[in-house]
Amino acid sequence: MNYKLTIGWLYPELMSTYGDRGNIIVLKQRLFLRGIGANILEIDQTTTEKELLKVDIVMGGGSQDREQEIVIVDLLKKKETLRSLFSDGTPGLFVCGSPQLLGHSYMTGDGAKIQGLGIFDMETVHPGAGKPRCIGNLVAEISDDMRYAICGMRNTIVGFENHGGRTILGSGVKPFAQVIVGSGNNGTDKTEGAVFQKCIATYSHGPFLPKNPHIADWLIFQALTQKYHQNIELAPLDDTLAWKAHEAMLYRLGIKTGSPPEFTPHLDAGRG
Amino acid sequence: MSCVSVRFYLAVFTGRVLQSLLRLIGKSAGGTWPGEIALILCPNFISCLNPKSFRLIVVAGTNGKTTSGKMIQTILSKNSFTVRLNETGANLMNGLVSVFLSHPLVLERPIVYVFEVDEASLPHALSAVSPDVLVLLNLFRDQLDRYGEIRSVVALWKKSIEILSPKTTVIANADDPSIAYIAGFHSGTVQYFGLEDPLLFHNKKEHAADSLYCPKCFRRLTYQGLYYSHLGIWTCGNCGNTHPDISLRARDVKSPLDGNYNIYNTLAATGASGVFGISSEQCSKALLEFSPAFGRMESIVYKNRKITILLSKNPTGFNQSLRVALEHAPSTMLFVLNDRIPDGTDVSWIYDVDFEQISEYKSLRCVVSGDLVFDMALRLQYAGVPLKNIFSYEILKDAIEQLVNQENEGAHVWILATYSAMLETRKILTGKKI
Repeated sequence: MNYKLTIGWLYPELMSTYGDRGNIIVLKQRLFLRGIGANILEIDQTTTEKELLKVDIVMGGGSQDREQEIVIVDLLKKKETLRSLFSDGTPGLFVCGSPQLLGHSYMTGDGAKIQGLGIFDMETVHPGAGKPRCIGNLVAEISDDMRYAICGMRNTIVGFENHGGRTILGSGVKPFAQVIVGSGNNGTDKTEGAVFQKCIATYSHGPFLPKNPHIADWLIFQALTQKYHQNIELAPLDDTLAWKAHEAMLYRLGIKTGSPPEFTPHLDAGRG
Repeated sequence: MSCVSVRFYLAVFTGRVLQSLLRLIGKSAGGTWPGEIALILCPNFISCLNPKSFRLIVVAGTNGKTTSGKMIQTILSKNSFTVRLNETGANLMNGLVSVFLSHPLVLERPIVYVFEVDEASLPHALSAVSPDVLVLLNLFRDQLDRYGEIRSVVALWKKSIEILSPKTTVIANADDPSIAYIAGFHSGTVQYFGLEDPLLFHNKKEHAADSLYCPKCFRRLTYQGLYYSHLGIWTCGNCGNTHPDISLRARDVKSPLDGNYNIYNTLAATGASGVFGISSEQCSKALLEFSPAFGRMESIVYKNRKITILLSKNPTGFNQSLRVALEHAPSTMLFVLNDRIPDGTDVSWIYDVDFEQISEYKSLRCVVSGDLVFDMALRLQYAGVPLKNIFSYEILKDAIEQLVNQENEGAHVWILATYSAMLETRKILTGKKI
């Protein structure tokens, strides 16, 4: 059977601040190498509800304050469609500033409170432009609930964060991970990111998936399951370099882990 | 003798004694802190100088500052001016003062001080001294962790230009919408330069082109053609903001270095030299013997191979370096990625570089090194470079040996490196620090 997934990329012109397209490149390549079709839908002001409902994975990146304001005006019009997609189990990945849009509200650097989509039960405040931003390498341990979902895989994530806002999670979402090094959601409660249904929000910005291939495959797996209503085994790919890059950062930050998973090619497995 | 001039001469005396002492103990140029001390003793040092004793050229922009500055130095020196470039770590004030501590206060011809400033420091530099010439090269997305978003840089620069002395001549890149917009606020003379050559259009939009929006009304700009990134012939259909008329174009100059970006640097240097009465022809002639600044398309012979180093520190710079190197159809290239403070600690931008163009060169071997060797290698893997063509070395020296061993004697090989990586690479190739 020929599988095919549509990746919905939110406002690439307005929300691709710093290497965010790396996540799209990773999904596209990993689908291509497995013989799964990939179609990229660039979501913007002209995207219709019908088009949006065909999306199998939703991807959001970071944006500057002004662009974010343009985006939220249009996103609010798409709110119910997105809510139904996510509630039905369509996976998504929101990096950098885009998680802020999903919460009840967020604040800009100059203190203006802006209404969010309210899909994720969380809220973002800004301590003021004079307060230090959270900048640096970010390593966290994937929360237990998530870990069962991506069973058998490594339990760390590695990223880079750069955000002024501080996010507090409500009871309607679960943290994506627990901070080992870095600030995470707010620099105080050790939570990093959030998970709602099959959607992941993380403060890691830019290219998050290259060094976290397990999360990339989790998104692909969820999307295939959701679309084709069956468990589809994914053929393993040669992720030696990805895990070396992942490991190198853990090593640099003094975090001890087990040895990286060995690559064993299964050429025929998982073509469905 | 007024109180101010007593302080001034005391500052000159103390600064010179300090400079001599530092030279004696082997600090070659003496650094900038004699200037710093002189400024503490006499905060008005610059205004006490005879204004005819110096000319100041400030060069600002994201990419090309060092090369343009060195071109200006070459041209003016060949035309019998005494020129000084700013030293590493100098700010405009202490750098300028240091120059005067090592030269007589009364001169037949003014000393020309060429000062390069980064995006964040320009407003501060301009508030200290008004330059005779201000060169505005370009504004690209650079280190977000240091310089912030382009739009905030544009706003800061605009403010500085609005209050700039009308005596300053601004030399501005008309092909960059943000630069043209900012220069438009100057109350004095502005001379614009641009390529104005449709043959140089490269109409494949680069992913890193981030200023395709009007800096005035924020609507999308219309381009007749793009040279690279967001540089081109642009106009705004909404507010009427448009590409200004230019007085210097590509055909007026002869760039001594490859790449469209070096045509811009040559134009900027020619424009700045024009303020000193030097013609375009004289500039081209002077640049015949131009030797690049270190690591900026500098070629070094190492073990009988010609190695060219291209400093590549942001997406636009990297895309340009790739284009220049790939035009020479090399069989091996070395990429060195570091994430130290001078490089920017966030290397997410490597995913904004169009490395995908490499995958068209099926047999190109990519040697990779640097602090983030595996991040770089991984980027190439995701760009479609076959794993068998990617060679990762955690130790830079090993990578360079591999690069050399892959090639026959006499071959020309290319190294693309971020700032600190470029310095390290040079050190290995030349055996010297700088």
